[in-house]
Amino acid sequence: MSIVIDQKTRVLIQGITGKEGAYWTEHMIALGTQVVAGVTPNKGGQTVCGVPVYNTVKDALKHHSIDAAMLFVPPRLTKDAVFETLASNIKTIVTIADGIPLHDMIAIRHHALAQQATVIGGNTSGIISPELAMMGSFPHWIDRVYKKGNIGIMTRSGSLTNEVTAMVVKQGYGASTLIGVGGDPVPGTRFAEMLPLYEADEETKAVVIIGELGGTMEEEVADAIKQKIFTKPLVAFLGGRTAPKGQKMGHAGAIITGGKGSVQDKIDALEAAGALVAKKPSQVGLLLEQLGVPKH
Amino acid sequence: MKLYEYQAKALFKEAQIAIPNSVRIETTDAAEEALQKVGYPCVIKAQVLTGGRGKAGLIQFVKTKPTALEAVKTLFDHPVQIPSLLIEEAIDIDQEVYLSITVDAAAGKALVLASAEGGVDIEVLAAESPEKILRYPIDILIGMMPYQAREIAYDLGFNAPLNKSIAQTILRLYHVFITYHAELVEINPLFITKSQTVIAGDGKVSIDDNSTHWHQAYENNETSFGSEAEKKAHLEGIPFIEFDGDIGLMCAGAGLTTTVYDLINDAGGSIANYLEFGGPNYKKALQAMEICLAVPSKVILIVTFGTIARADVMAQGIVDAIEKLKPNRPIITCIRGTNEQEAVNILESAGLKPLFDTEEAVLLAVSMAKGETQ
Repeated sequence: MSIVIDQKTRVLIQGITGKEGAYWTEHMIALGTQVVAGVTPNKGGQTVCGVPVYNTVKDALKHHSIDAAMLFVPPRLTKDAVFETLASNIKTIVTIADGIPLHDMIAIRHHALAQQATVIGGNTSGIISPELAMMGSFPHWIDRVYKKGNIGIMTRSGSLTNEVTAMVVKQGYGASTLIGVGGDPVPGTRFAEMLPLYEADEETKAVVIIGELGGTMEEEVADAIKQKIFTKPLVAFLGGRTAPKGQKMGHAGAIITGGKGSVQDKIDALEAAGALVAKKPSQVGLLLEQLGVPKH
Repeated sequence: MKLYEYQAKALFKEAQIAIPNSVRIETTDAAEEALQKVGYPCVIKAQVLTGGRGKAGLIQFVKTKPTALEAVKTLFDHPVQIPSLLIEEAIDIDQEVYLSITVDAAAGKALVLASAEGGVDIEVLAAESPEKILRYPIDILIGMMPYQAREIAYDLGFNAPLNKSIAQTILRLYHVFITYHAELVEINPLFITKSQTVIAGDGKVSIDDNSTHWHQAYENNETSFGSEAEKKAHLEGIPFIEFDGDIGLMCAGAGLTTTVYDLINDAGGSIANYLEFGGPNYKKALQAMEICLAVPSKVILIVTFGTIARADVMAQGIVDAIEKLKPNRPIITCIRGTNEQEAVNILESAGLKPLFDTEEAVLLAVSMAKGETQ
């Protein structure tokens, strides 16, 4: 089992004819992802990796059933691509673009909430259910990171995901589904919103969140645990614990948080809710063991 | 990207928000004429991008010409380089209000923050008396409606006739927020004068860094740098902060770099500089190393675990940079990710001893910086 995406998910790729789009489409298919159609305006009629390309999402839907859309679209065109996809009633969207204008992200987040859709990203590598399927740009062939297992992993940072996940795998675990919510101040999807899916997924035995300074997403996870929305074991690792106050370090966090958002605040909130917080990446796997999380 | 107060106020004026009469000067010589135009008493305000100007003595209230000229001279002679001063008429104040618009990330909305207690540090007020800050999410797909602005003004305690002018100011500030793709617009304090008019006492506008291409007039704003290394990093678009410790960081990815920063502190080491050359900068190893070498440090620690930022490309970049720059200090590499075996080959053939474990690399760097390991 996995959440959001598996080998049955029928995926549309926007921006499939671009260099990056074509490269990662090949890898998505190699992993087992069902890529059924592509869209690039004015490139309709071509094929990429054997996938037919259409001019519009509407056109693609005339010929295929589509469950989810993956966007390889430049940051300034992302809002248009997301709205085109939502207009066609596709409710799961992943966008990896780094540099989406803030006001565009506000509009995307708002519109997605109103449509009860899930937009993951931007500024992320996407989402992967190892050995089953992915929407994004993960080097899934690095098997000391992308190994199938029963841990749900959510992250704000690409580089840190590899670092921490490698330590989880080293301890004998693997990921059910790994979701990069991304490093932008307004992510399309927030950590706490994915917790009910991990809770419902029988295969997922625990969740690891990889957080950072800034914003309030980790505090929202603590709230979800307190309210028993999420009851499985949860281990967190947070970067920027010793960052000096007032320095812009790491990804952009929230702008005004009212005294919240420091890593210590997050650690306090998570621990008070009963989650464990690792001090080093190498402790994450050990803490899962300590909690008695089974490896198979 | 932050705007100077005078730039923010120019945007306010354009949006028909009242601002005090003022003249901006860039030299001491221009002071006398400016002071004559503005009159006394007046306020002399250093135009810098840092906060807390009042506490730092960078805002001076003066009543006479000699004290004014003295203040101008002191400010231009200040050790912190001050490019210009704003000489502004003093306002007869009855009340100060706080007003800002920022982002509600969870709701996907703009967020108006307002308080009847203006003039204070909003982060302090938020931490100590959060109930004194009123919060109003605004749907940006609809835009701000006049009734919302009226409600905010009533909630702040303003009835007729002030309600109208405050509501108007809020709507106009929202217009600035949208037009300039801001992450923050703030008027703190918003003066209510004894004659019951409304004037923006201060102004902050910060434009979203992903939207600056629409507002190129401000792209030279960040021109004062603490060092050549900072300037070079800024021009290259490489996130960089200088400290005074021993270990120079040259890492990829914001999350990994902050984590290495933590691990060094935990291990009793100290950081010479934070530098992050991941993401779009992963092919800039040469520039990154040049910046690192411009900072005094005992060892340079390179940690990466890249996906799109391929390990072999980074390794080749590092080897080329070493060849060209001939660093005068040891370099520790821990490069993992896409094509990492090729990366190892590249590093080893150049005589480096690549490590694979971040925590091990950190401990080695700390011990080398202390002179315990060669």
